[in-house]
Amino acid sequence: MSDKKTSKKPIKLSLRTKDQLKGLVFVSPFIIGVIMFFAYPIFLSLRLSFGKIDSIVGLKISWAGITNYTRAFLIDVEFLPTFLEVIKDTIVKYPLTIILSLIIAILLNRDIMCRGLFRVIFFVPFLLGSGEVMKQLLNQGVDNQVLNIMDGRIIPYNILNYFGSTIVEGVQNILSIMVTVLWGCGVQILLFLAGLQSISPALYEAAKIDGATEWEIFWKVTIPMISPMLLLNLIYTMVDSFVSITNPMLEYIQSFGFTKGQFEYAAAMGWIYFAFVGAVVAIVFALMKNYMHTNEVEEVKKRGKDKKHRVFTIEKAPRRTFE
Amino acid sequence: MIKIKWFKGQWLHITFSKIMLYLAMFVLVAFTALPLVYLVCTAFKPLDELFVYPPRFYVEHPTLKNFSDLLISLGSSAVPFTRYAFNSIIVTATIVFLTVIVSALGAYSLVKFKPPGGKTLFNLILMALMFSPHVTKIPSYMVVNGLGLINTYGALILPNIAVAYNIFLMKQFIEQYPDELLEAARIDGAGEFLIFLKMVMPALKPAWSTLIVFSFVNNWNDYFSPLIYVTSQTMKTLPLALQTISGGAAGMSVGRAGAVAAATFVMTVPTVIIFTVMQGKVMETMVYSGIKE
Repeated sequence: MSDKKTSKKPIKLSLRTKDQLKGLVFVSPFIIGVIMFFAYPIFLSLRLSFGKIDSIVGLKISWAGITNYTRAFLIDVEFLPTFLEVIKDTIVKYPLTIILSLIIAILLNRDIMCRGLFRVIFFVPFLLGSGEVMKQLLNQGVDNQVLNIMDGRIIPYNILNYFGSTIVEGVQNILSIMVTVLWGCGVQILLFLAGLQSISPALYEAAKIDGATEWEIFWKVTIPMISPMLLLNLIYTMVDSFVSITNPMLEYIQSFGFTKGQFEYAAAMGWIYFAFVGAVVAIVFALMKNYMHTNEVEEVKKRGKDKKHRVFTIEKAPRRTFE
Repeated sequence: MIKIKWFKGQWLHITFSKIMLYLAMFVLVAFTALPLVYLVCTAFKPLDELFVYPPRFYVEHPTLKNFSDLLISLGSSAVPFTRYAFNSIIVTATIVFLTVIVSALGAYSLVKFKPPGGKTLFNLILMALMFSPHVTKIPSYMVVNGLGLINTYGALILPNIAVAYNIFLMKQFIEQYPDELLEAARIDGAGEFLIFLKMVMPALKPAWSTLIVFSFVNNWNDYFSPLIYVTSQTMKTLPLALQTISGGAAGMSVGRAGAVAAATFVMTVPTVIIFTVMQGKVMETMVYSGIKE
């Protein structure tokens, strides 16, 4: 298509320009889609958040300054509590997700039977999505009723009484959190597994020969070597937990957008929320950046040859002469 | 350490740490799989077993009545259940097909042709990965409304084609595709589109299999697009239908608990099938690219 267009022009195009034009033709469906259903809506929502809708028909928006933003913090009594609830929930589940998926990935990485089967089982909850099916299951109480230990089916009453109700309730809460966390682990496990499998066995061997214990090997070899995957997981989990459908903050925003029809306010809240998420992600990124170990080649490229590496390397070890 | 004679003259070593390992795996698997087992069992429970308190995992008298209920109870109302299923299948299949082509083409040209503005576009894609679509739902509604697509399949399909994650995944893969092969094909006189169809696409099979699975799962479970872009009952898809059957977002209606369980089951079956078919490839890709939506 573009060939015809270019050959008509009197100016001869270089091969490079021709290539670029061809590329543009190929990528154009995607660009059109992104502009129409991503870039323009984002622009519109930004405009909405700073404005006031005068008439919905022709979508006339007048400038209203930051009134929508101040409303969220100063007037709305539910906004901040919901926000805090989301943060609290994330603080509980976020480290659990990361740690559990790392543990599972390490277990899966060992030489065990039916590894493929285990992998599939841990991944299947992802297929159910976080959508309506999940909601339905939670409604039916899979997280707390089915695994109920308080009614004396799994553990007899006598023993339960002995423990006291606070402990039992605590265990119950932990169980229900465990289920929801494990259900959101599928992708993280796979990512960690990918990271673990890329570590060369030679590193472990070398560490063992040098007399490192399992614990030391874990902290000095495994963790640095999977740090890129760790970063990816940290960010993915963060974004995932903040944008999941069951998130009360998004439900609150949605209620203003759809049922109450206050588009401007919903847009403003959305932007506050995502400014926050973006900031958190940026902080995680900045903190992790210093602890990243990509691989030796890149490390050398980045820091120069003379700089010391944080992680010991297998090659280029100084050759000792035994005399 | 215990040694047991295994077949073919091998020895099976059972050590304490191995037993602990399997025990730990078993507990974790139980936690993950129990709700799934529950989901499947509930779909086959007769009415009296559905309301047993505390809820039970296993079924004593499995029945298919829930499924016939699902078909009949909705059949009597305006829209039959099969219509929702049909909508879901049509919409999801079209999206998956188009998104694979659009993202593969886009990623191929971004990587191999380096069009002007490609860098900017890629940065936009990276940004979009972190952005929740929910914030822009209302403006997107305005766009779709402006195009006059409300209550059509177009409204459900078009906004979901150009997804940032999809092109990102394809890009990761196409970067590994050697330029020399493309040059060889050009020298042999192949057109650009032919090269794409006959050479690039077959080589990218793992990438687009993964894309098919993710795109299918996401769109099959997509609850928001039909909620926003569609008002007529006949155009709704399964996730919305599930909500209608269960009696709104507030909670379960008691009379239809069986139908709800059956519908939930029906909804999960296609995703599991798609995943099982594509499973090997997906795992391969995940290990390679190390990224998801």
